[in-house]
Amino acid sequence: MTPDRDDRLHAAEFVLGLLDAETHATAERRLTTDPVFAREVAVWQKHFAAFDDTADPVVPADDLWRRIEADMAAAAPAAQVAPPGLLRRLWNSLGALRIAALSGTVAALAFATVAVVTVRHAQEVAARKPVYVAILVDDATRQAGAIVNAFADGRVEMIPLVDMSVPAGRALQVWTLWNREVGPRSVGLLDRARATPLDLQRLPTTANDQLFEITLEPAGGSPTGRPTGPILYKGTTTRTL
Amino acid sequence: MTAESSSSPPALEAEISAAIVRCATGEKSALRVIYDLESARMVGVAHRILRRRDLAEEATHDAFMRIWRSARSFDPSRGAARAWIYTIVRNQALTILRDETRFGPEEQVDEDLPDPNSALLRLPESSALRQCLQQLETGRRNAIVLAYVHGFSHGELAGRLGMPLGTIKSWIRRGLASLQECMG
Repeated sequence: MTPDRDDRLHAAEFVLGLLDAETHATAERRLTTDPVFAREVAVWQKHFAAFDDTADPVVPADDLWRRIEADMAAAAPAAQVAPPGLLRRLWNSLGALRIAALSGTVAALAFATVAVVTVRHAQEVAARKPVYVAILVDDATRQAGAIVNAFADGRVEMIPLVDMSVPAGRALQVWTLWNREVGPRSVGLLDRARATPLDLQRLPTTANDQLFEITLEPAGGSPTGRPTGPILYKGTTTRTL
Repeated sequence: MTAESSSSPPALEAEISAAIVRCATGEKSALRVIYDLESARMVGVAHRILRRRDLAEEATHDAFMRIWRSARSFDPSRGAARAWIYTIVRNQALTILRDETRFGPEEQVDEDLPDPNSALLRLPESSALRQCLQQLETGRRNAIVLAYVHGFSHGELAGRLGMPLGTIKSWIRRGLASLQECMG
């Protein structure tokens, strides 16, 4: 899917900081819901990053670090999203989200809904521990979009962490790849992001380092039986501790 | 990122990347590593935008808070650790700059127009950004450089460059379109 020219220029103006406050805020929100736009923004950020090294260094006053350190104590690192691939950090981040949601001091309002949903799922997940977990991440924005849990009895479920925007006439399709020769197999089709069991009954038992991904496809699913649309989120399974 | 990487050595990039990942686990010493390696340049980037040292330090302070809080959202596999940090400090500086209650027009240091060429000529000659910007018409190039490097808004560009707002907007859009084609 190629974003149109206007959208690309809009992404560039966003990176330059030329949008008015309201439009800028809208674009910022869009980063979390529109992977194509987020990718465009990342490309422009990389283009312009070379300028950052052309600034003359200005050694800050001695007390700057002290101020940072003092404020840091009050602000534990809060997770808006979980990092890819590392299960332990996922659990840490779920913990941080839980604290953030409860205390209401750390989590940005925009992420409150996600946090609450995540906390609920964290509790559910903790109650029945999966054998493998995959965190599906958007390549461009680094944002985690969904978790896939595979249980000892063969059940596999997907839990979205963000509200993925699905245009009319399109659907989210979930795929897994456990064998490159066989290629990706469809294991779920959704009209919107929601927690769902995945159909892996006819596939071999889920294993370590098995790829899962979510693509945007025509409603009713990919016409070819293979992913045709853009990959929204992807990740591989890791054995739980 | 061939040209750009010459100005950010892979070892530094890797060190920053590892430090951000450690921040995500709550390790305070990792934030200090980033501070030691990058804070002077960060203040410098903010200073070009805010032109006041106290505000530049404030933007850097805010940026470090943001890095600390959102370190978990950084994905080391993408290999743009320094770009991630500098996007944050630039945004914090722009937030202060655009906050009229904090930084009214009367407070703005009324200096000469910053020379857009000075940042441009500091880019390595091999830099794709430099080569592509140099192919643009002067007005378009200056507007884009002043916006990124010095944080100029459309309105400020129109005032400083003495052109109608509509002209500035179209210079920027056309300049960006050519830039995009050139940089691929």
